[in-house]
Amino acid sequence: MASGNKKRLFAAAATVGVLSLAVTACSGGGDGGSGSGSDGEPVTLEFWGWVPGLEDTVAEWNAANPDIQIDFFRMTGDDGDKIPAAIDAGTAPDIVQMSSHSLPGHIVNDRLTDITEYAGDLEDQFTPSSWGTVVFDSAVYAVPQDSGPSGLLYRTDLFQQYGIDVPTTWDEYLDAARALHAADPDVYIAQFSPNEAGFWIQSVWQNSGSWYGIDGDSWQVTVNDDASMAVADVWQTLLDEDLVKVVEMWTPEYWAEVNDGTIATINYGAWFPALLKESAADLSGQWGIAPTPTFSGSDAAGESGGSVNVVPRGTEHVEQAVEFISWLNASEEGTTHLIDGGVFPSAYVGQENSNLLVEDEYFGGAVANQTFADAAATVPDSWVDGPTFDLTQDALKDAFAQVANGRLTFAEALDQVQAKTVKDLKDMGLEVRE
Amino acid sequence: MTSASPATVAPRPGRSRGRLSGGLRAAPYVFIAPFVALFVVFLVLPIVIAVYKSFFAVQRSGLGFGGGEEAFVGLDNYVQAFGNSEFLRSFGRVLLFGAVQVPVMLLIALALALLFDSAMVRGKKFFQLSVFLPYAVPSVVAALIWGFLYQPKVSPIVELLRGMGVDPQFLAPGTVMWSLVNVVIWSVTGVNMIIIFSSLQTVPREMYEAARIDGANELRLALQIKVPMIMPAVLLTTLFSIIGTLQLFNEPMTLRSITSNISGSYTPNMAIYQTTTLGGNLNLGSAMAVLLGIATMVLSIVLSAASNRKKGGAR
Repeated sequence: MASGNKKRLFAAAATVGVLSLAVTACSGGGDGGSGSGSDGEPVTLEFWGWVPGLEDTVAEWNAANPDIQIDFFRMTGDDGDKIPAAIDAGTAPDIVQMSSHSLPGHIVNDRLTDITEYAGDLEDQFTPSSWGTVVFDSAVYAVPQDSGPSGLLYRTDLFQQYGIDVPTTWDEYLDAARALHAADPDVYIAQFSPNEAGFWIQSVWQNSGSWYGIDGDSWQVTVNDDASMAVADVWQTLLDEDLVKVVEMWTPEYWAEVNDGTIATINYGAWFPALLKESAADLSGQWGIAPTPTFSGSDAAGESGGSVNVVPRGTEHVEQAVEFISWLNASEEGTTHLIDGGVFPSAYVGQENSNLLVEDEYFGGAVANQTFADAAATVPDSWVDGPTFDLTQDALKDAFAQVANGRLTFAEALDQVQAKTVKDLKDMGLEVRE
Repeated sequence: MTSASPATVAPRPGRSRGRLSGGLRAAPYVFIAPFVALFVVFLVLPIVIAVYKSFFAVQRSGLGFGGGEEAFVGLDNYVQAFGNSEFLRSFGRVLLFGAVQVPVMLLIALALALLFDSAMVRGKKFFQLSVFLPYAVPSVVAALIWGFLYQPKVSPIVELLRGMGVDPQFLAPGTVMWSLVNVVIWSVTGVNMIIIFSSLQTVPREMYEAARIDGANELRLALQIKVPMIMPAVLLTTLFSIIGTLQLFNEPMTLRSITSNISGSYTPNMAIYQTTTLGGNLNLGSAMAVLLGIATMVLSIVLSAASNRKKGGAR
């Protein structure tokens, strides 16, 4: 009896919730209502994603778009590993969220739909760096969702205590590192984490570099090109002079070092502060944010990659699927939901959203996301992912472990990863130009 | 009388011999059908598919966009697997791992089993359960827990040792394998102890009395009566342990998240995972998996042959 009442209460509450969402959607004047199946019949699309709160987003869309109904499935754990098998078996969802880095790996296995026809004109709505990650050989394979433009998080208290200026260039960064470590041998300006390739990608990207490129009908591998070697110089100096703490990222050990004040700056993507707040809550108010130090002759910030929405091969209603992901990722309402879910949107309309640009107590009242939004506009569009991205990233981790142990230099490690990547691509039967 | 007895049993089935005995004949097959179905679908078929796939490769050209064609390539994948030094090194690594881990673990398991059997231990049930309990902890969780204890800043063990003037590096390149050995020993000693202990229970007690009357003390009793009697059980656990070592995956994979000194192709299974899941090359991965299977089989056969010869020689 009691449980029956409860169920009814839930049903009523859910109905009210959906209705109110429908009302807000309508009053919001969204253009979502225009969509319908090309043959006039309503279609139902399955959508796999992981941004928090997407259930509400989808409910709002469904209420406003009776002709394009979205069936949302929340991805957890290693659900992403099911995607290739599901596509190959013809049972894939119609829309999938995935890392931008994994796009080419899927494209060379013919798992994604070329959506240039429907999404090609979205280009102007996204930052060049995000749009650059979804276009391969002039074909559009995804719509960008969120990204991670970089910012320099730094311990205001430590920098003040030792009278050190917050560095604006990488040269100043090295000086600040020396000054900090000299002032207190227990303090390091940063950590070196062999297991976190994101830091590396971000700096190479900032320096207008990339691991891969496309030249006509062949892949280029540029893991050890000049842009990357300039990053290697900075890190080799930091490591040689013992200015960084070697610790693996995301481990209890890492968070202990952060909380102890061993690590004075963390230069990372827009999605990182949420994790920092969670694992170092006690340091609230002691962090500040500044633009990432720049390479000489450029004011560009870095980027470590984000997630995108793709339409797997075999999807019947490509046009409708793209209509939904365009709304989700490039409209005011859609990006508001993404922001509420805690991600940093790739579209300009999202980066200008007042919900995103709020004062952040953790950073002493600074509008941290303004720094990231400013950074997003400057990130080069140089980065190109390649079909062996995961293997290259794994090889980089292994090589960097040797660097941390003093068995290789950064330059030697990059040479090793370059050779491995070329071999992996050739093993796949692909054309490679070094 | 003797010729009559079959007749007294016979009448009931005799009346409808054909139908019933037909049903009886079918019964065992019906009972094992579920097993056979699952066995075929989830073991035999995957093996057949893996072997089949290992002779093919996806042929691509240019940028490779739009996919490729799977074509027969004979033994190319096997040649490639043998040419992969990281993959070959991973075999050497697990063999070294096993050469240390298996004997140490079995000696501890044997010693504990003999101790529990010797009636010298009080609270036997409690201690037996305590030794066995780690086996109930999933290997990923075990690796996570030990991983915690290996990280200097958060480990009470490191803190304790540092207090004594020792600065242990559990995750350094030279020591991480032994830290891994420790996790595996902690996990599996209990179950091996149980197998050996139950084997001890089957030894006739009269033999102990006879030995005692002949003047053997507990130590001699253990070494010269008990150990030879339970040798088959020890060999069985050895075999299982060696197979387990070759299959090593969960523990190193989990510890890799806290130390890069465990590479992405640290064990054969990790190398296969890297090739298939990260590299997306199912064909090459299949060939590597077949090679691992063959290596495991060969090692098992060699080991059982060696133990059989030893048994034969002893008699």
